[in-house]
Amino acid sequence: MKQNILLQLHPMTKFFFTLFIFAVVLISPGYIFSFAIFPILILIAMLAGVAKEFLNIVIKALVTVLIFIFIMQMFFYPGENVLWEWGIFEIKQEGIKYGLLLTSRILAIGSAFILFFRMTEVRDFVKSLEDIGLPPMGAYVVLSTLQIIPEMRRQANTIMEAQKTRGVETEGSIFVRAKAFIPTLTPLILSSIAGTEERAITLESRAFSAPVKKTSLHQLSKSNMDRALPIVFALVVIGLIVWRFFL
Amino acid sequence: MKRSFKDDFNMMAMLLIPIAVAVNLVGFQLANVLRLPIFLDTIGTIIVGVIAGPWVALLTGLITNLINGIFNPVYFPYALTSIAIGVGAGYLSKYGFFKSVPKTIISGIIITFIAVIVSAPITVFVFGGVTGNTSSLITAAFLASGQELWSAVFSSSFITEVADKVVSVLIVYFIVKAMSDRYLSKMNYGDLYMKRNNRK
Repeated sequence: MKQNILLQLHPMTKFFFTLFIFAVVLISPGYIFSFAIFPILILIAMLAGVAKEFLNIVIKALVTVLIFIFIMQMFFYPGENVLWEWGIFEIKQEGIKYGLLLTSRILAIGSAFILFFRMTEVRDFVKSLEDIGLPPMGAYVVLSTLQIIPEMRRQANTIMEAQKTRGVETEGSIFVRAKAFIPTLTPLILSSIAGTEERAITLESRAFSAPVKKTSLHQLSKSNMDRALPIVFALVVIGLIVWRFFL
Repeated sequence: MKRSFKDDFNMMAMLLIPIAVAVNLVGFQLANVLRLPIFLDTIGTIIVGVIAGPWVALLTGLITNLINGIFNPVYFPYALTSIAIGVGAGYLSKYGFFKSVPKTIISGIIITFIAVIVSAPITVFVFGGVTGNTSSLITAAFLASGQELWSAVFSSSFITEVADKVVSVLIVYFIVKAMSDRYLSKMNYGDLYMKRNNRK
């Protein structure tokens, strides 16, 4: 796992790559180019060994949205050339073209972000943001959020089970179900905020808000590749802008 | 009462953010489990707005959408909506809009307008009008009946948002009411909701 050269890149390099795809897709004309980016992303995911998770999330998160968007544009985008007609529904050539453009862009940009988070640990990304000036408090908030979510999910289930035992109904008509919401959420929130005081004391006992430079156990290093690649990305983007708008 | 921008970000307020983000996510999950027709995914953001002020709520909204976006990038552009809801709730709280049930309902409607005005342009420009959720079906129905794209998106998202936001703010109202004075006294806007005030 650690030998993989792509996964070992600095988080900022991977982030620049995502922004690079974002810029390229917005600059490039037409949909063929944007659709071509997706196979490239799959290839990168395969080289990084995350292809399976990557494709899973793309299918779960994006495919229904894309189909929806495409059908909508096909029927409702204003245009002249009607290809097919049935009652009030008309498929127009302009609609298909705009639908392809829109879906190709969303697919490319969306999957670039998905790939980024498959290839980068959030912990590393936050650390790299901290290195370029994010306050340690911000980094702590993001990381402890990630930690607290599964914890609170479990707690919510426990509370719901407990309230069911007490006789709170979770099945039945919509009003019965809606009434189960408050007895679950209120104890969850009140018990969680009760814990913040202890956490504040724990952090302060380690001088967390003292105005000094913090040392971190977790360090990131930059290789030559990490210095060179962002420059390459920037040059390609500038080149594309020149080609698209000035030539 | 004068408060500087920096005063809002004290330790207790920052520690509230992770909980609020988790409440947003858990609220959405609970609404799913209970098969409710509304999302209830902004309760945490609104709570932070009410007791810790607009700027902390802004951060809460931003972090919620960034974390949702890790698994579904469709959430990224809507970070703006979450931010606007948080800031809106914060300012409404500052002017005492969460102190009684009728005022809370009014602020729910105001928050709905904020959410719709911010999210409709995102839906239209980024996704061409639909994102594949329930309000998309309503949008499609409006479009098929001959409405313009903008008014279809505005009206369909208003229909789906208004119930969600009014119920959310009412839940927030009751939860803030149940918070202890001891905790509220540590939050920047908490003194507005302390029970001690009522006793005088």
